[in-house]
Parts: sequence; structure tokens; C-alpha cells
Amino acid sequence: MLKLEKYLEILPKSLWVTTCNSGSCNGCDIEIVATISPRYDIERLGMKLVGTPRHADVLIVTGPVTKFMKEKLLRIYNQMPDPKAVVVVGNCGASGDVFYKSYNLEGPVDRIIPVDVFVHGCPPRPEAIIEGVAKAVLKLERLRGDLQKAGEGQ
Amino acid sequence: MSFPMNSVDNVTVAKSPAEVADRIRSVFGQGAVLEVRERKAGKDDTVGHHDIWAKVERDRFLDFVDTLAEFDFPQFHIISGNDDGGVVTLYYHFTLFQVAGRRNRIGVAVAVPVDKKDLVMPSLFSRIPGVEYSERETREMFGVDFDGLPNKALVFLPEEWDESIKPWRRDEAGPSANDVRELS
Amino acid sequence: MEKKYKVPIGPVHVGLKEPITAWLDLEGEKIVGATVRPGAIHRGIEFMARDRNPIQVIYLSERICGICSFSHVIAFLRAVEDAASVPVPPRAQYIRSLVLELERLHSHMLWAGVACYTIGFDSAFHLGMALREKVMDVLEVLSGNRVNYGVATVGGVRWDVTPELAKTVKQMVKYYKQEFAPFYDVVTADPIAKARLRDVGVLTYEEAIRYSAVGPTARASGVRCDLRESSPYEAYGDIGVRAVVPQDYYGKAYGDVFDRFLVRVHEVYQSLDIIDKIMAGLPEGDIMWEKNLNKVLAFLKKAEGTGWASIEAPRGDDTHVVHLKGGDENVTWWKVRAPTYANAVSWPLMFRNNELADAPLIINSIDPCISCMERMLATDSSTGARKVVTRAELLEKCREKTRRLMQNGGR
Repeated sequence: MLKLEKYLEILPKSLWVTTCNSGSCNGCDIEIVATISPRYDIERLGMKLVGTPRHADVLIVTGPVTKFMKEKLLRIYNQMPDPKAVVVVGNCGASGDVFYKSYNLEGPVDRIIPVDVFVHGCPPRPEAIIEGVAKAVLKLERLRGDLQKAGEGQ
Repeated sequence: MSFPMNSVDNVTVAKSPAEVADRIRSVFGQGAVLEVRERKAGKDDTVGHHDIWAKVERDRFLDFVDTLAEFDFPQFHIISGNDDGGVVTLYYHFTLFQVAGRRNRIGVAVAVPVDKKDLVMPSLFSRIPGVEYSERETREMFGVDFDGLPNKALVFLPEEWDESIKPWRRDEAGPSANDVRELS
Repeated sequence: MEKKYKVPIGPVHVGLKEPITAWLDLEGEKIVGATVRPGAIHRGIEFMARDRNPIQVIYLSERICGICSFSHVIAFLRAVEDAASVPVPPRAQYIRSLVLELERLHSHMLWAGVACYTIGFDSAFHLGMALREKVMDVLEVLSGNRVNYGVATVGGVRWDVTPELAKTVKQMVKYYKQEFAPFYDVVTADPIAKARLRDVGVLTYEEAIRYSAVGPTARASGVRCDLRESSPYEAYGDIGVRAVVPQDYYGKAYGDVFDRFLVRVHEVYQSLDIIDKIMAGLPEGDIMWEKNLNKVLAFLKKAEGTGWASIEAPRGDDTHVVHLKGGDENVTWWKVRAPTYANAVSWPLMFRNNELADAPLIINSIDPCISCMERMLATDSSTGARKVVTRAELLEKCREKTRRLMQNGGR
């Protein structure tokens, strides 16, 4: 049995994921869409792609952040309710990859918002994206457990 | 010799590149056509199409486009160019005979040097509205103003960009070392 | 009294959120004007090329766009080969054309799935994504990666066609000829699709020429332009390609979203035929002009000249211009014009006289290599009241219109 599915036994509700393209070439975004597609099918593991950050648990960010998108990325991050996790998919969000020197880039992503998981690759395979999101789930569950304990302690 | 403003159509019978080149030379001088290049393709190196590389002064540029329009409505690709010291050289890329059948396309690339002390070009917008994004881009990247372009807003650079910095210029108007960031 | 709203328009792709801002002027539900503001993904790529040599720029050009990445590579390489007069051996030309056609297949299938999703055929979206996986497998067998192949180089290609690949390609072609039929039915047999897509987002023949539209967008308006036909490059010098235009199939080109769907579906079948011809006529020989990379770089360092190449990418004509200076290893300047930017100029024209519910469909119909933003803000300019419409609501409006049409029996 995949280690992945063991993580998901502890989920109390299905995970809602939202994406934000902060200036990428769309390669990683297509691989994210392929992850929803029938062959890789992240939905069987209980994850759903939603359009609005207000309902989401996990934010997937792609791309080195352009100046235009910096404010919007921050706004999207702040609209998400706690506990939340951020996954950066692709090399350009992690380090800039080939876009390492420019007059219009504010990246990498962890310079703008705190990041929990980096999925490397250009673009990473859908299997790698699923693994990355599963690791974010683990972290999320820990955060949720902490929040609950803090609430009970009052 | 005026541009077809009201009727627009592509011709289906092409003329030869030699004929187009000769017409350009007869109106703009022998030096106007720099080169007629053949591009080959396939197993037996058959000719795929021809490209004409030309050069014209800024003040005769609109006449040049009108001359091209005598043959076919010029299909516009892009304005490319470079900062060459005292001038900004703009290359306009057009295509003639795009629907005239196999191997008949003729690409025309015309170089127009624009002096930096007078960075203005006449706009092609009233003739070919498809140039809008290219002219806006050339304006924000090189600082060349286009006379007759209705929408001169920034197209690729963000709203809060400092408009005195022209990213593709290589002199003091270009981005300094502080404006360029290294991500890693 | 009519209220005017200014609506910044939202995304049209479920996963792609590449922002382009389009402001729509509405009167009630009807769109009366539109302004488009691109630039959210401007990374300064042409600027970055100034301190890289042509081989390094190949890897940069692959990442301009994830869907049509190979088209950008080939256009760039052809421009360099034009500037430096580098010949390409015939076998390499055929392999390049093969990968270009494979890319066209997966791009059009992705588009067909998304277009169906936008009008409410969810299962067609999942079908499109599942079908696409077969092409991705073939590309992986050839190059080792699903996207960003790294297959081409100056003067040739780096990976050869093996007998195993030839067999996989043959199986794939046979598979697609059968399995792509549901999308073919959408344009031939489905009355709901016709009612929904006919006369939506019209771009007339004259406008397509005057506004320099390219690719399937121009062909749907009746312009018989296809760079593989008018200026054959690579293997198309030997393989004849005819531009796919609606008047050949239905007698008349309306220039609407239905015609764009039609053109792309037929181009998929055309690509399958071209792939068969490429594999049948693959010549023997070298795959690279010069195997030693250092010799290639030394040659390019001495080269001087400006090169220009335009090729037919899945979305239209992709143009690259490169200048090389003798004695300088780096690329002096580089200009890229992706096909979407030529077509985006026509968006305001296509929006005229259509309803708000059609907006996602129209934006998507030119197959933008860019998508739009998260949210939409509808402002009533007379009272200043603001209403926030989420992305989901806009998409839902688009799909709801289809349901209404279905209830009325497709009228």
C-alpha cells in the first residue's frame, strides 16, 4: 500500500486546493490539471480543486513572482483561512530556474509568502505533485491539531 | 500609390520575389534592398520561401508600406529592433502573399533607423490596426513615440513601473544594475 | 435608464490562472466594449538572452510557454540557423516536424476539452485530458520528459527515432483515429453545441486580415493562411499541407467559436495523417550538423547576421528574430512574438454584441496561452455600488446558458 494513502486515513474532511499562477509558463499548471485528470486522479484521494481561496486549505503556487502578481499573491494568501499550507510547484517558484536574473521578477515565492512544501521539477510529474500535496496534508493536520489544542486550553 | 483603407483582401496569385525587390529598388533606390534570402526545406533542399531584407529612412517608411500594399495587404508580424548607439534601429516584419498557395509567401523585413535625438515614428495603426501591441511595446521598451497611435498605455510592464527606465535600451535610459534582480 | 458596468474578467481555464486583465463595458447583460491589458507574466525573457549563448537560450525559449514549448524552440533555432547559415540534415528535419505535430495534437486536445468544459460538457473535459495522455507517453518515449523536451539543438536534434518509438507512434495514430470521435461529433452531429457556439464571438474575414489574426482564429474566419503551406519549412517541404478552412466543409465561414472548434478538430485529423507520412518517409542519415558542441559554439561565435523565422505553432504563427554579432558568443538581441499576442488584439472585436455569459467562451476560443484572473468586480458606475462576482459564478453563467438552450430544444 502506498505510504500516501496512510496519511489520508486521518483526514476529517476532504482537502480543498486552490492554485495561483504568479507568472509561470503554464507547464506546471497543465501538469496540475493532468493531476485531476482520470489517469492520475487526485480526486480519488479526496482533494478538490476550488476557484476561490476563501474555501481552500492548500494553495499551490507556480512561477517566479512577477511584479504585477506580487500584490495579488499576497492577497490570495491572506484570504485563506487558517490552518493553511502552501505548496510551490516547479523550479521557478523555488529558485527562479532559468529566470534567474530579470528586471520584472520579485521571486522566489518564499520571499513573498511562507512556503511549506517545494515540489521540484520543470515541470514535476503529476506523481510528484501528488506526493507534494500529501506532505502538505501532513503539515496541515499537525497545524489543525495544534489549533484545536489551543482552543481547548482556553 | 495609397494604402487600401476601405477594402481589405489577400491576393491569391503571387508575384515573384525578384519583381517585388525590383519595385522596391525602383522607388527607394538601389541600396534599399539589402538581400533576398532563400530558405530551403525537405530532403532535396527545395526552396520553401523567400525573405527580402530592406532598409528605408524613417520619412519614407509609410511610402514603403504603401508600396508593399500594391502587391498584397501586408500581414504584420512584429517590430523587433536594437539600440545601436546613436540610433534605435527598428525592424518591421511583414508577409506578402500569405494565401497565394504553396511556397509563394514572401517575407519582408525592413530596417528603419530612428535617431535618438528625435525618437518618433509614424504609426501604422490607421492602416493596420494589428500593430497596436507591437507599437505600445516598442514605446515602453525603447522609448520610441508613435505619432497617431490612439492607445499609448503600457502593455507588458506593470502599472507602477518607473517609465524613465526603458528595459531594452543599452545607454543611461536602460535598466541599471540596481533594477535587475538575481533570484538565486 | 441603462446602467453601465465595468467588469474585469475572470479565468476561463479550470487550472490555468495566467492572468490577463480584460475590462468589459456592459449594458445590462450585453457587452458593448472591451479593453485588454496583458503583462502579468512578463518575465523579461528577451532581456535575459543578452548574456547567454544560443545553446543556453534554447532552454530559456522552451520555457516561454508550457503548451507550445517546442514551437518556440524550433522558431528560435531556425532564426539562428538563418542568421548563421547552418544547414540541418534531412533526418533531423523530419524528427523536428514529428515532434511539432505531436505537440499540435496535445495542444488541440487540451483546448477541445477545455472548450467543452466551458460550455458545460464536463465529461468531455475529462475525456480530452485522458486522451492527451497517449501523446504525452509518446513524447516521453522520445525525449524522457512530458513537457520541455530538450530535443532540438542548433543544426539538428539530439535524440533519434528508434524502432520502439516508431511502433508506439503507429499505435497512437490508430488509437486517436477511433477515440477522438466524440469531439468530432460535437462539431458535426450535436445540435446543442451548434446552437450554443454559432454566431458567438464573430470575427469577420476583413477584420481577421486587417487585425493580423493568425492560426486557427484567422482560418476560422475564412483566411486560407497556413505557414506550413505558404512557406514550407523542415519536412513540410516534402509533405503537402492544405489550410483547414470552414468553407471547405460547410460552404461558408462565419468566423465564430463553432468554426474555430471545427478548424481545430479537423487539424487533429490532418496532423495524424502528417505523422503517418513523416514516419513513412523518414530518411536515413545524421541527426546533427555537427556533433561536437564546442565546434558549434565556435562557429556561432564567428557568425554575424540577423535571422528571422516564422513557423506554424498550434495557436498560429510564432515569430522569432535573432541577431548574432561576430566575435561575441552571446545573442545580441532576440525578439519573440507568440501567436496569442497577435490574436489578443482581436478580442475587443469578438466581444461585441455578445452576452456576459459568453465571455469565458470567447476568451478561450482563440486558445490563449494565457488565462485570466481570480475574481471579478462588477461596478455600477451610476450608483457606485460594487458587486463581487466570483470566478465560479461567471463560469456557471456560461454553463447555465447551455442548459437553457437544451431546455428550449436547441433553438
